[in-house]
Amino acid sequence: MASVSELYDVTWEEMRDKLRKWRDENYRNSEQIVDVGEELLNEHASKLGDDIWIIYEQVMIAALDCSRDDLAVSCLQELKRQFPGSHRVKRLAGMRLEALERYEDATKLYDSILQDDPTNTAARKRKMAMLKAQGKSPEAIRDLNEYLEQFVGDQEAWHELSELYINEHDYAKAAFCLEELMMTNPHNHLYCEQYAEVKYTQGGLDNLELSRKYFAQALKLNNRNMRALFGFYMSASHIAASPKVSAKVKKDNVRYAAWAASQINRAYQKSVMSQPLMSSFEEMASRGLFGPKNMC
Amino acid sequence: MAEVELSCVAYVKMYLHASLFPHCSVNGLLLSSSPPGGDVCISDCVPLLHSHLPLAPITQLALTQVDIWCMQTDKRIVGYYQANASISDCSPTPSALKVADRIWEQCNQAVLLMMDNAKMSVECRVPPIVMYERRDSRWTLKDKQTIMLRQWEETRSIANQLLDARDHTLLVDFDTHLDDITKDWTNEKLNAKIAELASTANGKI
Repeated sequence: MASVSELYDVTWEEMRDKLRKWRDENYRNSEQIVDVGEELLNEHASKLGDDIWIIYEQVMIAALDCSRDDLAVSCLQELKRQFPGSHRVKRLAGMRLEALERYEDATKLYDSILQDDPTNTAARKRKMAMLKAQGKSPEAIRDLNEYLEQFVGDQEAWHELSELYINEHDYAKAAFCLEELMMTNPHNHLYCEQYAEVKYTQGGLDNLELSRKYFAQALKLNNRNMRALFGFYMSASHIAASPKVSAKVKKDNVRYAAWAASQINRAYQKSVMSQPLMSSFEEMASRGLFGPKNMC
Repeated sequence: MAEVELSCVAYVKMYLHASLFPHCSVNGLLLSSSPPGGDVCISDCVPLLHSHLPLAPITQLALTQVDIWCMQTDKRIVGYYQANASISDCSPTPSALKVADRIWEQCNQAVLLMMDNAKMSVECRVPPIVMYERRDSRWTLKDKQTIMLRQWEETRSIANQLLDARDHTLLVDFDTHLDDITKDWTNEKLNAKIAELASTANGKI
């Protein structure tokens, strides 16, 4: 198979920069990382300088995702040689054990890190990740709650907890986690939008109103967030269609929905679209609302 | 019980969808061009989500949009598929059952299909799927004898070919479409590619 640099006509610097971008933005495109990273390490290792160690780490984790134990082990060996006794490297060794489903061995490794350094959050998180991987969601939730009592500012942990609650259909608690995140990240449109989705799912008029408001907030923060735009349209439509609202509320929400519909149509028209997709939204908007009622 | 046939293009897209997001749960809708009543042929599928499956707004939106598209293209929604993130647990989640119920309200031959992750491999001898149908208000396992997948080996080989060529990245699900609305969730191009591979294999599938 042709090399990445040949296929895409990129230099080794571009490959290194791509890896950095993926690292910074926390992408989990493991196949690509393995392709690009493996070639970079094999062909251009000498040019990477100190970056090489963080690339070894990145490629190793991606290799685990792709069942490339050979690559993972060789990266791990380089890291062990360079940083003997490092907790960070030990955690990577633990992740490899997890990938091999050797959960007990991995737990021993993480426990030994925690004995040395009880504040090591990475090892604690791996133990919770193992619970999740083994389908032990309630235990993972319990441990994550305990963790958050100690490390109350850990955004990643709050977000993980919200995801766990959503999967357990505990929307009230998921909403609480997202509220924490919105408080500390008021400019993050994704948290607003996810909160709005959870409120919508909880259902009932009050939650729908709240959901519409937070979809609107998400749009204010990022007017290209299509999920927020659609969500705003749907929550407004639902409220307008409810028999329990006053005439004024109904009128307002019909107006909101119409506005959203026109924004959506504009967005579709501006992009190069295939007819079926655009017309299916137009059809939906003209119907006024949609078939399936509240799902949950 | 009615026979259900799963077409090559439907299976391949489901498989590619699950392969594109191996660390997520994914789901989608199963479509048919055959008229109601009698045996069901699942001729196509629309991949929907790879995040926040239990949340309502996008699921409702997708169901409505696909419904309308089906009316315009003479198809109907006849089922729902899901592949769980966990490799060992392929049981339907409560939200899967809810969506399947909704679909069953419109189509009483509806099926619920779960991918059996542990059995998904390059060489699997039988399709790694578990199918449920609704009997006595519950979703129960469908008799394997009534599930058909013609020319399984060719289908499997097409899926593997596309995976090897990294063509699974061509697949667009509804989530991806919302991130970039120029992307086509009907997957016309991918369908054409699969059809091409299918016709160069032993005759038309």
